[in-house]
Amino acid sequence: MIEVIDLVKRHGAVEVLRGVSLSIARGEVAAVIGPSGSGKSTFLRCLNGLERFQSGWVTIDGLRFGAGVHPVDWNRIHRAVCRRVGMVFQSFNLFPHRTALENVMEGPLFVLGLDRDLAEERARRLLDRVGLSDRLSALPRALSGGQQQRVAIARALAMEPQAILFDEPTSALDPRMTAEVLAVMTDLAGDGLTMVVVTHAMSFARRVAHTVHVFGDGRVIESGPPAQIFEEPHEEATRALLATVLAA
Amino acid sequence: MEEKADASESDAADPDPFPEPSRAPLGLIRRPSVPPPARKRYRRQPSFSLAGLAILVSSLIAATPVWAGALEQVRRTGRLLYGSDMEGGGPYAYPDPGSPRGVTGFEVELMRLLAGDLGAVPVFSQGQWDKLLQVLDSGRIDLVINGYEWTEPRARDYLATRPYYVYQLQVMVRRGSAVRCWADLKRPRPDGGRWTVGVLVGSAAETFARENGGSSVEVVRFDGATDAMTAVQNGQYDVTLQDLPAARFYAARFPGLESVGPPESHGYYVIFVRQQDAALRDALDKSLAGLIASGALRMLYERYGIWTEAQNELARFTGPIQPVASQQEPRGWPLVRHYGSRLLDAARVTVTLSVTSMPLAMVLGLFIAIGRLYGPTPVRILLSGYVELIRGTPLMLQLFVLFYLLKLPPWVAGIAGLAINYSAYEAEIYRAGLQAIPAGQMEAALALGMSRAMALRRVIVPQAVRIVIPPVTNDFIALFKDTSVCSVITLVELTKEYSILANSTGGAIEFALAAATLYMVMSVPLSWFSRWSERRLGISSAKGGAWA
Repeated sequence: MIEVIDLVKRHGAVEVLRGVSLSIARGEVAAVIGPSGSGKSTFLRCLNGLERFQSGWVTIDGLRFGAGVHPVDWNRIHRAVCRRVGMVFQSFNLFPHRTALENVMEGPLFVLGLDRDLAEERARRLLDRVGLSDRLSALPRALSGGQQQRVAIARALAMEPQAILFDEPTSALDPRMTAEVLAVMTDLAGDGLTMVVVTHAMSFARRVAHTVHVFGDGRVIESGPPAQIFEEPHEEATRALLATVLAA
Repeated sequence: MEEKADASESDAADPDPFPEPSRAPLGLIRRPSVPPPARKRYRRQPSFSLAGLAILVSSLIAATPVWAGALEQVRRTGRLLYGSDMEGGGPYAYPDPGSPRGVTGFEVELMRLLAGDLGAVPVFSQGQWDKLLQVLDSGRIDLVINGYEWTEPRARDYLATRPYYVYQLQVMVRRGSAVRCWADLKRPRPDGGRWTVGVLVGSAAETFARENGGSSVEVVRFDGATDAMTAVQNGQYDVTLQDLPAARFYAARFPGLESVGPPESHGYYVIFVRQQDAALRDALDKSLAGLIASGALRMLYERYGIWTEAQNELARFTGPIQPVASQQEPRGWPLVRHYGSRLLDAARVTVTLSVTSMPLAMVLGLFIAIGRLYGPTPVRILLSGYVELIRGTPLMLQLFVLFYLLKLPPWVAGIAGLAINYSAYEAEIYRAGLQAIPAGQMEAALALGMSRAMALRRVIVPQAVRIVIPPVTNDFIALFKDTSVCSVITLVELTKEYSILANSTGGAIEFALAAATLYMVMSVPLSWFSRWSERRLGISSAKGGAWA
């Protein structure tokens, strides 16, 4: 489903990703953990083409793109990738001038070109699924953070993507709202959606993820099933990370 | 000097050497046996001109409680301050080609002679031509001499000297034009339209063209005499009617124009002083009589090539022209009511100009802002160059370019000029608005699979528009008032019409209030609309940041 080969990303002289390779199977829930600044979010943003990279290859659902792609083609590929892969942001990024329902309808209506009735029907169903059927006509600013993030998940789902990338989806939320959002994500995982989740929520990673990738200093330090990563990590860096995270 | 003084002395002693002027101009020549008593109260008529509140303020400051009399003051200070306008002012008063910081012209030289007789030094004081009498009211100058014709309303409010020039109007056309004299304009234009006649706004030529043009003539009003000549030479209009001195003086500079037909009309240039300055007026009269008698005036005019047979009439005048007392124009509010329809017409021009140009400016500005933010580098450079060029040059010059160089019709030039000028400002407002939208919005839109263009249209611009409503409304109101600059390309809007009415009728304060009221009536609904749309789009209800 998702295959990354030797991805290198530089911000000027700073090397943010120094050759990341990993693959994620269809239906797999992959958690990406690591200390701040280890390149997790940048990695995620490279996957759907929000950021370009300097070398390496990414293949998503058969669509392959690399560093050398011409900007014009890049935009085309980027759009094609984004239709297959949804994204949920740490800061929600809902469209503030549209209601919850309109936020969810936006993609189906204008990107997929769906009929308005069909789009609305889909949006209602998805908002119901994330537990917000009573807030359809609320503007984002009238919703709590947890509610906003659930709308954002519904917005991503409305495109019927092959996979969803979650960029620290609960980092801006308090524990109660975090629980709401994680519950929805757990529900989606149970349905067999491919998910890549950059997170600090270790309990979620441990409980829900099939694979955990530990990032450190722009590389993947260690990958494996959660039981192995959390119980008997091979790498010293992983142990150090878990020690600080779990102590906190 | 001695000789002249003597001549005028004897002139004054002999009340009426020509009791029955062969040609009584305007039927008004009277010479009062005693000078009219100066009014005790210093009659001030401060300018409420929308553009000239400064004049009002300074006039209030300058107003002295006890009026000593201008003549006395001239004698005491040795300075005679005269108001004139150098702009397009040849041959009356214009920048001296020999010494570019100085001023010359036949009136400037005449003032040198007159001031010399009073034992004073003439001091030139620059003012906008149609505002000179208001400057005179303010007390900052002693007299106005600038091709001001003797007219009934002026004579009611100011004292006029005897004429120093008999002016006539000259028809000027593009070389080879079918029009050979004024009478030719009575015939319908070959293409069925009306003849277009460019005149200086508020001048005798305008009055003459209106009264003698009939239905086959359309009068186009210009802010400057030479502007009308430029437009006719360009082929934008058929004819310009000019005061003869200006026509002669500028003939060389407009080789594409020719003067045709005999001079038309007949009137008098006089010097105006304040009502209470009869002493100054009498002194000037005396001095003028001397210059006329000695032939010095004729020599001066011949040097400027403006001597005509009609000038012989000057010698027959023996005193100031007095208005016929009975003819009283309405004053105060009846005056405003009387001319109200003209003000409303002008207000319509203002509204039309602004409501057509502003939407264009807003659309143009939006595209410029988007191009500057998201376009490829060459486009960005080009557009920032455009913004700097347009913002960095005055609207008036841009209008000149569109009207005189590109020769666009006045309405097209006016609307395009305002739209282009304001597009640069709107672009910067939109740029600020677009940049205020968090980067996450664009990312979220792109992540949904939108193209950049669609993301802008669906997500970014709708949010930016809400942010920029207040500054854009602000600019709309500013543009509203900036439409007044369009008077330089013959569009007479509210401010210009105010100025015309204030000057031709003497109701400066009344018309200022009426015009100000009209502006308010027009701009207040705009503010309401702006506030309404802000509320509707939900900005004002957002607390703590636009979308928090």
